[in-house]
Amino acid sequence: MNESQHLSSQFDEELGRLRTHVLQMGGMVETQVSSAIEAYSSGEVASVKSIVEADRKINDLEKAIDDDCAHVIAKRQPTASDLRLVLGISKIVTDLERAGDEAKKIAKGVRRIYEAGHLPAQYGIGIRHLAEAALSLVRQALDAFARLDVALAQSVIKADSDVDTEFKSIIRQLITHMMEDPRTITTSIEIISIARAIERIGDHAKNVAEQVVFIVEGRDIRHVKEQAK
Amino acid sequence: MTTLIVRAVILAAVAAAVAIPVGLFSRPWHGWAVFSLGLVLQMVFHFRNFTRLDRWSRNPLVDASLEGEGEWDNIFGRLYRHEKDLRQQIAQREHEIGMLIAAAQALTDGVVLLDLQNHIVFCNQTAEAQLGLKVATDRGQSVVNLVRQPEFVGYLEAEDFSRPLILRPERFRDRVYAIHVIPYAGNRRLMQIKDVTQADRLDQTRRDFVANVSHELRTPLTVLAGFLETLQEIELEPEERNRYLEMMADQSRRMQSIVQDLLTLSAIESAPPPENEVVDMANLIDKLRRDAEALSSGRHTIRVESEGQGDLLGSEPELISAFGNLVTNAVRYTPAGGTITLHWHVSPQGAEFAVQDTGPGIDAKHIPRLTERFYRVDRSRSRDSGGTGLGLAIVKHSLNRHQAQLHIKSEVGKGSRFTARFPASRVNQS
Repeated sequence: MNESQHLSSQFDEELGRLRTHVLQMGGMVETQVSSAIEAYSSGEVASVKSIVEADRKINDLEKAIDDDCAHVIAKRQPTASDLRLVLGISKIVTDLERAGDEAKKIAKGVRRIYEAGHLPAQYGIGIRHLAEAALSLVRQALDAFARLDVALAQSVIKADSDVDTEFKSIIRQLITHMMEDPRTITTSIEIISIARAIERIGDHAKNVAEQVVFIVEGRDIRHVKEQAK
Repeated sequence: MTTLIVRAVILAAVAAAVAIPVGLFSRPWHGWAVFSLGLVLQMVFHFRNFTRLDRWSRNPLVDASLEGEGEWDNIFGRLYRHEKDLRQQIAQREHEIGMLIAAAQALTDGVVLLDLQNHIVFCNQTAEAQLGLKVATDRGQSVVNLVRQPEFVGYLEAEDFSRPLILRPERFRDRVYAIHVIPYAGNRRLMQIKDVTQADRLDQTRRDFVANVSHELRTPLTVLAGFLETLQEIELEPEERNRYLEMMADQSRRMQSIVQDLLTLSAIESAPPPENEVVDMANLIDKLRRDAEALSSGRHTIRVESEGQGDLLGSEPELISAFGNLVTNAVRYTPAGGTITLHWHVSPQGAEFAVQDTGPGIDAKHIPRLTERFYRVDRSRSRDSGGTGLGLAIVKHSLNRHQAQLHIKSEVGKGSRFTARFPASRVNQS
């Protein structure tokens, strides 16, 4: 970043504040995801309510940050890396908000399972592991954004495919369960939707990491792999 | 300085003294030329020294390259000494700062220094490890960019540092930190991070213990109180009365055994280290076998496998109670028809006493907590079978006092093996 070269230190401050707000929102999302996983393992349905409430705060923060981005662009007309930072932030915020929504979905799914009197731990043993992996992707993506660390961002992008593979193997395992014992179908379907949500969180982390690469290097690496295939 | 001026004047006068006769005897411009030459020579002398100073000042080194001529040499000397002193002072200060930083690095508590905007100014290695920071890249970065937990961000924003923040960090969820923020030097902040995981765990154990003791004692007490009320208020047939009294006696025995076990535990904990009497293992194992057979009353097959010769050194009553507990557990939890094997194995590395059963086994997630007081794998069943919930805690303590370790291996549906491993120093090889 060429922050230090700006004549207007107020502009620097605005950009710094914007970044801190994004990371603050990221921190909330991290907590949401980990509380949702915690609720899944422990069955503490009470925490679901607080997760749903905290999601509203995340939504508000998303709007506020988007607003700030528009203000910075209108007032300062940033160029080069500053412009990329602002553009990147407005995309990262969208991804974070969606990851928060997925956490909320997990929490609600957990509540449905437990309220129906089932214990998810008997089925998706791999879920917790999958969730830990996705959570660590979110954490690393945010670290990469805080430090503008392209190497870390790239490792997140690579690691996301592991989460996808693990997701698929969980689905296969659940299908076997359902075929063996049709009584497990209701719970299994809930667990599949939880696993899907976790996998989506991993994807959002990957998107954040891609934006980090864009901010630092100015390269848009989205969908590059698909084209190469 | 004055000498320099005097010298310049004298040299000018000498030039004039030479120039005037030359001017008088030859043509006047010859005189002027000689005089100017004298002045020019003086200027060249000064200019040469000036150039040296100029060159040195661009790259001041403390070496012999700074040497002047005449009066200049004194000036150069003073500059040289000044430079040298300064450098020494800087080195001294750097050394002192280095020592301070080394001391901060050596602290076992994490220390992070923050400026007004919560940007990281300094953090020690402990803090790096605790919070997942990297000094190399994170200095100057806002600390909330990296420690993003809402509780932490809220704590810093609220600016009320009268109480420490108890934080379970997102990065290491099994840890607990107490974070103090101390303002210093006006508006800077020192953040001290103490790892209180151990204290927190102890606290949790203590709370659980108190809750469990009260619960365990209250259950039989409630039953007793209920019967007492019935006896007081309702006229009963002598037969029924006796049945009730029998049940009450049962409950009071239960309470007694809990209190007895608690006393045993606290006695073991506070007692001096066990004496080194020789415990006749052949005898002891035979006694254990007989006890097991009596308790099982023919429902299980009890086997003894012994390998190697040797006896233990230690306190016989404690060892009997520890091993006895393991055997009793095996008999209690193994369904009828199962096999219980007592192993005694002596080798040059030490000795092993093990009890293996073919019972229902224990789920892996319970194993680390089995020796906690009142920990129950299955709450409903274990109380029926008459356990107090303190047996394994006593076993673990007694074994620890003999430098032995309790290893638990178990597989659900196959059975469990409880092994006490004694070091060679506790074995009397014969």
